Amino acid sequence: MNIAKATLAGAVAEQEERLLNCVHCGFCLPACPTYRRLGDEADSPRGRLYLMQAVVEGRLDAGSDAFQDHIGRCLGCRACEPVCPSGVEYGRLLELARQVGGEARRPALLTRVLLRVFGTDWLARPAMLMGRLLRGTGLPGLAVGVLSRPRGAGEQDRGRGDGKRTGPLARGAAAGRLGLAMLAASAPARELFHKGAARSASAPGEAMTPTTSPAQAAAHGNAPTVALLAGCVQAGLFSRVNEATARVLTANGYRVVTVPGQGCCGALHAHDGDLEAARRMARRNVRAFEGAGVDFLAMNASGCGAAMADYGSLLADDEAMGRRAARLAARVRDVSRLLADRGPVAGAPVPLRVTYDAPCHLLHAQGVVDPPLVVLESVPELEVLPLAGSAECCGGAGIYGITHPDLGGWIGSDKVRSVLDTGADALVTGNPGCMMQIGAGLALAGSRIPVVHLVELVDESYRRAGLYGA
Amino acid sequence: MIPATLTRSLVEICGRDAVIVDEDRLLVYESDALTAYRHRPGAVVLPRTTDEVRDAVTAIAGHGLPIVPRGAGTGLSGGAVALNGAVVVGTARMNRILEIDAANRRAVLQPGVINAELSAAARPHGLYYAPDPSSQTTCTIGGNVAENSGGPHCLKYGVTSRYVTGLTVVLPDGTVAKLGGQGREAPGYDLVGLFVGSEGCFGIATEIEVGLLPLPEDVRTLLGIFDRIEDSGRAVSDIVSAGLLPAAMEIIDGPTIRAVEDSVFAAGYPTDAEAALVIEFDGVAAGLDGEAERAAEFCGRAGAREVRSARDEDERLALWKGRKKAFGAMGRIAPDLLVQDATVPRTNLPSILKGISEIGKRYDLVVANVFHAGDGNLHPNILFDRRDRNELERVERASKEIMQLCVDSGGTITGEHGVGLDKKHHMPLIYGAAELDAMWGVRRVFDPAGTMNPGKVLPEDTAPEWPVAGEVRDAAEPMIAAGAAP
Repeated sequence: MNIAKATLAGAVAEQEERLLNCVHCGFCLPACPTYRRLGDEADSPRGRLYLMQAVVEGRLDAGSDAFQDHIGRCLGCRACEPVCPSGVEYGRLLELARQVGGEARRPALLTRVLLRVFGTDWLARPAMLMGRLLRGTGLPGLAVGVLSRPRGAGEQDRGRGDGKRTGPLARGAAAGRLGLAMLAASAPARELFHKGAARSASAPGEAMTPTTSPAQAAAHGNAPTVALLAGCVQAGLFSRVNEATARVLTANGYRVVTVPGQGCCGALHAHDGDLEAARRMARRNVRAFEGAGVDFLAMNASGCGAAMADYGSLLADDEAMGRRAARLAARVRDVSRLLADRGPVAGAPVPLRVTYDAPCHLLHAQGVVDPPLVVLESVPELEVLPLAGSAECCGGAGIYGITHPDLGGWIGSDKVRSVLDTGADALVTGNPGCMMQIGAGLALAGSRIPVVHLVELVDESYRRAGLYGA
Repeated sequence: MIPATLTRSLVEICGRDAVIVDEDRLLVYESDALTAYRHRPGAVVLPRTTDEVRDAVTAIAGHGLPIVPRGAGTGLSGGAVALNGAVVVGTARMNRILEIDAANRRAVLQPGVINAELSAAARPHGLYYAPDPSSQTTCTIGGNVAENSGGPHCLKYGVTSRYVTGLTVVLPDGTVAKLGGQGREAPGYDLVGLFVGSEGCFGIATEIEVGLLPLPEDVRTLLGIFDRIEDSGRAVSDIVSAGLLPAAMEIIDGPTIRAVEDSVFAAGYPTDAEAALVIEFDGVAAGLDGEAERAAEFCGRAGAREVRSARDEDERLALWKGRKKAFGAMGRIAPDLLVQDATVPRTNLPSILKGISEIGKRYDLVVANVFHAGDGNLHPNILFDRRDRNELERVERASKEIMQLCVDSGGTITGEHGVGLDKKHHMPLIYGAAELDAMWGVRRVFDPAGTMNPGKVLPEDTAPEWPVAGEVRDAAEPMIAAGAAP
């Protein structure tokens, strides 16, 4: 404990000014999904900051159940940041608190395994391959169909707060069920684009090489260049989204370059307090991307975007790399921003009714509010229905949905209900974690509403318009 | 720590996840938004229904332990702080709106409903809930009832007591009583009126019936910019004397302007100004322009450098956001702040503002003022860093002098934040023995055993025979006064 406290004292000493900024006004309480549901102030941002302060003051052990549970139960959605009049940098403090908590007490096995897999290429690649193969068999979808009876996603454990009091077997089963549903939810929404679709030469969702029109080629002389973060989950299960991103950016006059040597962004590790692993991954990406000399780094996973935009402060103490990281971080852009900056180019009608859920790490962490809506509005005949509570977390929150299936499922089931209430044909969002969490929740609730990434819709619109050539 | 038998009873009544007894997990309940007072409760219980509150209160009272009701913990007078190991009964889970009766313009709700969310729910019916404390996005109606909360628009519309028409309350011994209700004028004594503003000392409101108002047809919002804060005070006084009735008049002083403009809620106030005066007129559209023009003239005559008019709803909301988030934004200037809350005669505003500024200078402290000027309700915020012992002492002394200044000018010790723990020793500044005896008498009727929020509102030394549950200790001195950095 002494070691952990010393680390926290050191780590938080620099943050003390930020921590002390909290005047305890309580404006963050209603913004917090866990406080709203549990009603315990220790599960609010103000309460968690208070616990952090207590550890710094030596009044609380970082290994205590209270610190571990309440800090662990935070989604890290950062909805508390935009409503904080004092500008407390909650997300940054949470990562430090988790680091200290993790040093005082070993994180759960499931968390360690998941982080190890995402953080290690030779584990991540085969895991993703297995995932794709399993998904390809259609078995996860079938299993979910069988499992999606009345109880819905996680609702059975409502009010319990976390998985602590359910047996390990039940928790394992819940995590397994959710895992399968998430895998199934990562599959392309093939049927959706058949709905009212104009007939087209190529099959929907099929990979296409971007082709460039003469006008665009001419513009390429001084066209902004962008590099795409391939990502870990994104590359493993959502390669179609990466391909669509490249195509729609190209169609909007960007020159998309491929950057070798890149890896996982480290967001999941940072959020769970494994800051050393996160820094290791950040350094690798800084080295890989800075050599490419691009104008922008395009992000189609908002969790990764928020993490990379934060590389400067993550590596602030790294003399060799701190500044380089900050320079790179300043060039990080969500794909919706890059598209909105260009209009974007209009495609053909996609006559669907959709609703949009704002990823927390786009809305709260990166402060990107309008661009996704501007992009959606640019698609002809696409009707965007308002989603109640679209600014609230879906409960996915990185690996939270898996590590806290009860509370994550409760939050997720509220999201699912809002989506169903809209009567939309599909849910649109901008982050793979949210896509899988909400998709799994919908499937487990017996709904067939698909979840698609923003760029998939734009891509479909462009494909129908023939922007990619015949 | 509470007895294990009580823990078991509470778990039986409210469920395991609704009872918090672990010392570490109770840390955050040490204080409300006035962090100068910190006392850890013996336990926290989070009931969902009137029946659960009734049974929990009965069980706690059966053990002779004190009880403290708590809403969102956003109070600024230490009212929700648990003295003597009291058990906190929190209303966070009682957050359902039970009924919106649009035809009769009334709503029935649980105490944990957030103020702004009631207005949001009423909006589709063309209605809203008028009292709008600056913390309205987070504070609860139950807390508003306890504190008889006001807000900027209470200048025209009045405070909470004007809108509460009925209450279901759990009394300190567990009895459930229904006071008023159905919007009628209740015959007999006005117990609703007595209960509203009782600061959690008479019982716990578990169902609240309130009146709603139709949304105003239109609104005009002005911003006067002043180089001297006294001038803004004069403008306020002149506007009211002339017979105009704005919905709200708020003054934001120089230090506050700079804190707000530095925050995410920047409202576009010029940072070199020494006062910004927000004036709002609402109601029937016809005539609003005329009223706004007259108010603008008064500002000009009092010395306003410029007077702006919000061009659209976005600008209007931005102006208000700066005002309403000002308290939280103070964290950008200093880590701690002591919020004062005093009401003074409006006509004395210019001289009192000047006096406060002089006190601040004398003690070398930043005093930021942001307040409901139309009501003469001042909120001087003294900014400090609790790690600086010397500064702490100066804060204490300056705070007392400011309070004395307000009382000497014919003012009173609180406008809307309540007396709670923080102001109870100031009560004899305002009341004599006869008035305090009467208050003790009323309190005794509701709470003969002295178990409901003991140690608040009335100073114990004015009622020697008063029973106090739990271990008696004088907890009214804030930790900062003792110089103990918490």
